[in-house]
Amino acid sequence: MAILIQLTRTHTPSWFTIKKQLFSTFRRHEKTIRRSMASDPSTGEPTRFDFLVIGGGSGGLAGARRAAELGAKTAVIENHKLGGTCVNVGCVPKKVMWNAAVHAEYLHDHSDYGFDVENVRFSWETLKAKRDAYVSHLNRIYRNNLDKAKIQTIHGHATFTNDPEPTVEVNGRKYTAPHILIATGGQPSVLSDAEVPGAHLGITSDGFFELERLPKRSVIVGAGYIAVEMAGILSTLGSKTSLVIRQTGVLRNFDAFISTNCTKELQNTGVDLWKNSQVTSVSKKDSGLEVTIVTKDPEKKNDEEKISTIQEVDCLLWAIGRQPNTSGLNLTELGVDTDERGHIVVDEFQNTSRSGIYAVGDVCGKALLTPVAIAAGRKLAHRLFENKKDSKLDYSSIPTVVFSHPPIGTVGLTEEEAVKLKGKENVKIYKTSFTPMYYALTTRKSPCIMKLVCVGKEETVMGLHMQGLGCDEMLQGFAVAIKMGATKADFDRTVAIHPTSSEEFVTMR
Amino acid sequence: MGQRCHKHDVIEYDAMSRLNHPTVYKAVKMRSTLNICRKYDYDLVVIGGGSGGLACSKEAAQLGQKVAVLDYVEPSLKGTKWGLGGTCVNVGCIPKKLMHQAGLLGTAVKDAKKYGWQIPGPIQHDWVTMAEAVQNHVRSLNWGHRVQLQDKKVKYLNIKGSLVNEHTVRGLTKAGKEVGSLSIKKILTYLNVPGAMEHGVTSDDIFWLKKSPGKTTARLLTWCLSDVALECAGFLTGIGLDTTVMVRSIALRGFDQQMAGLVTDYMEAYGTKFAWECIPKRVEKLSSGALQVTWTDTKADQEHKDTYDSVLWAVGRAPETKALGLDKLGMQLNKETGKIIVGADESTSVPNIYAFGDIGEGRPELTPTAIKAGKLLARRLAGQSTELMNYDNVPTTVFTPLEYGCVGLSEEEAEKRHGKDGLEVFHAFYKPLEFTVAERDANQCYLKVVCERGGDQRILGLHFTGPNAGEVTQGFALGFQCGATYSHLLSTVGIHPTCAEELTKVNITKRSGLDATVTGC
Repeated sequence: MAILIQLTRTHTPSWFTIKKQLFSTFRRHEKTIRRSMASDPSTGEPTRFDFLVIGGGSGGLAGARRAAELGAKTAVIENHKLGGTCVNVGCVPKKVMWNAAVHAEYLHDHSDYGFDVENVRFSWETLKAKRDAYVSHLNRIYRNNLDKAKIQTIHGHATFTNDPEPTVEVNGRKYTAPHILIATGGQPSVLSDAEVPGAHLGITSDGFFELERLPKRSVIVGAGYIAVEMAGILSTLGSKTSLVIRQTGVLRNFDAFISTNCTKELQNTGVDLWKNSQVTSVSKKDSGLEVTIVTKDPEKKNDEEKISTIQEVDCLLWAIGRQPNTSGLNLTELGVDTDERGHIVVDEFQNTSRSGIYAVGDVCGKALLTPVAIAAGRKLAHRLFENKKDSKLDYSSIPTVVFSHPPIGTVGLTEEEAVKLKGKENVKIYKTSFTPMYYALTTRKSPCIMKLVCVGKEETVMGLHMQGLGCDEMLQGFAVAIKMGATKADFDRTVAIHPTSSEEFVTMR
Repeated sequence: MGQRCHKHDVIEYDAMSRLNHPTVYKAVKMRSTLNICRKYDYDLVVIGGGSGGLACSKEAAQLGQKVAVLDYVEPSLKGTKWGLGGTCVNVGCIPKKLMHQAGLLGTAVKDAKKYGWQIPGPIQHDWVTMAEAVQNHVRSLNWGHRVQLQDKKVKYLNIKGSLVNEHTVRGLTKAGKEVGSLSIKKILTYLNVPGAMEHGVTSDDIFWLKKSPGKTTARLLTWCLSDVALECAGFLTGIGLDTTVMVRSIALRGFDQQMAGLVTDYMEAYGTKFAWECIPKRVEKLSSGALQVTWTDTKADQEHKDTYDSVLWAVGRAPETKALGLDKLGMQLNKETGKIIVGADESTSVPNIYAFGDIGEGRPELTPTAIKAGKLLARRLAGQSTELMNYDNVPTTVFTPLEYGCVGLSEEEAEKRHGKDGLEVFHAFYKPLEFTVAERDANQCYLKVVCERGGDQRILGLHFTGPNAGEVTQGFALGFQCGATYSHLLSTVGIHPTCAEELTKVNITKRSGLDATVTGC
């Protein structure tokens, strides 16, 4: 029916449009229906949906699917592969690489546990092929999920038009809906050659997933969790890795307990750490990249800057932050406010400054995590299409894991934040550090550290921080309890599971 | 006192309490009801230096009590003996988990190949290397426990203790008459199977074997009546031994049976053989040194024979109460189990004497439970608290190759208490990310949350099979302790990509009959 109506409305179409339509019909029958449902650019009449989602990543897809389940006629616009950062260049391939690195650690331990495992060689090529195959498999799953949910997929780059009613144009066709969700995510920040000569010779975390071989010599720039994870993976898999950080520690927005320990662990596991350092230039030589680094300790006032170079680098990776994908959306024209870094400003209900336009996920710049985007997208769908007026995501106490070596788990306030918010006298800290039992038999050892940040007379646990073997899987349950308002006494009342590392949290004194 | 005890064969210790509560057995507190002013050697005497006994004695000492711990290990029938720390440290949790890790590493080597490692040749495992490393670690823990007792000013006496009366414990040194037995430590019960005692090992022995239990053909039979059997069979398979588990009726009795089925299915998929509903009849040692086992298959009522290198009897643990002199004191025991009948405050039928840990009737046989109960008891005895041990919210994990963690009620028990219609069971089959590249079958990776159907959907039981189940379960056990509901799980943001996050995403009910397989992120 929709097709018929649209066709009758069509005035004399331009030759170009007809050609394009014919071509697409020829190419793929399935697409014909989709295309014919689309608007006709000559009339300016957009195709209407109940819910239009820009961005087929974690947040967009979750919101779209939930909306469709609730009966909304929904479309998703994506200009790349479905699944977004998480599936293609984030969590999923990253964790596969981390798992591979964990095997490298196990291989060190095998002989201590009685296995004769020798002359081991690692094939990056094998791993990459399998990882890519898995990611493609996920891309297909997402596609099938959308098809099953009868959500239309529109491939291309979306731009908001100047129409009075919020309208999106993709490949010359217009689409509109009373509710439009922007979930375009983000991408790694890069430096220009003007800022650092030769900066373009480096790659970002996106490029990491395209590497065809294990780099022999890697230089990672940055102190955030992506830098830490990339350095850990490359180093553990056998690349000689240097990490260049501007100050003295990594993960500076984490609890100092974790930041200090993680910095130490990086060095323990063989990462060559350059503190108080910055890359000033990069040049290409026959034997690889030459990375020039300037080091200056700010504490030593009269200390001169030291200039060094790292030679024969075959992988320079910038991990200096992420930026939102907002360029090209034409947001200013639309009247959607962004902050100075380009993030879309939203309220607690994911509303932007323009009514009928919402944003979730990394593009908002808050808690850049897949499950956050998914939850926010779903909550929004319930609010819009199930009339659940109060449906919104609570951004407090969101647990996070960093897949470092060993992994980090953290939820809630850092000690510093707690002291600032509640006053030093109202904050009580419990800490422990031990060697997990796994290492009882191994020459390779790595401590597990744990910390509870408690507030008030009740000693409500408002922060939990840890780094050590297994912390990645430990955190989730504790996050549930902390969200429930668990106190230290609740921790004490819980019976331990023996022998585990997580039991240390319920036996702390 | 220590001096005296080594000089004499039999020594009697009296203990006096300045407190309201009298004596403890397993923590034995002595108090004269006739003469308050009488002088006693100790405020508290604890018989048994296991997890619970040590925790209780240290806690009491910290609260200002004069405390002694009596611990002595009677060698197993195979002659295995060990140091301070009880079952957990010596022949339980600790060596078991370490050998479980070895078993996991055996699987990890296979996975590593899928992750791009080229590893030449078949991989051999050397039992001696592993066992020596495990035993050295256990010895370091034995030493650590002694140091801790010293630090906390608890008197450690390496003697057997028995009860003389409600105020007196008799200690027997090594040189003493061959009587009595240990208190909290339990020995293994043996089935009445001819040949079993001579030709087999128990889980007390397996961790201390000097050579691999599977010699040449590496065939091993485990007689399964407890979770220890499955755990042992799991790590033995993991390090490459041909292992068969013989099961009388069901595995993991007392646990949720759907979960138990997944645990054994996984083991079967990874190479452990099972002989279900079979009962061993005879074990004979052949001239070759191999053990010929004859058993009855109760399903077909047929008799079968096969030969094995070793037979491991894992029939559960029995309380060591016989020689404590409990009969003379008239202490109430459960005739069948031999365990001591205890009250909610760990009291026994004899005044002044308390019992807790594995020896208490109906108590979970778990180290942390004993530790917690011991500490709470020490605090109550010292008049510091009235808090009782809560035995309902005890989480546990079975360290089988696919670990199984749980807290609260099994689905069966929940059904019994609340009726099938009173429950809403949320469940999911999930695939751990680490299994994908490794091309491993994840059919047994499963979780279920048993909730009340009405009201807030309070969680009654939470069950999880998967890698790291032990580490996953602890935090949820805390949530469970805080009274978590289904919506508490859902309102917590997941951690991606982990296995644990699946518990916050679970949304398919059993009632709906929908496919519970998780797809995508």
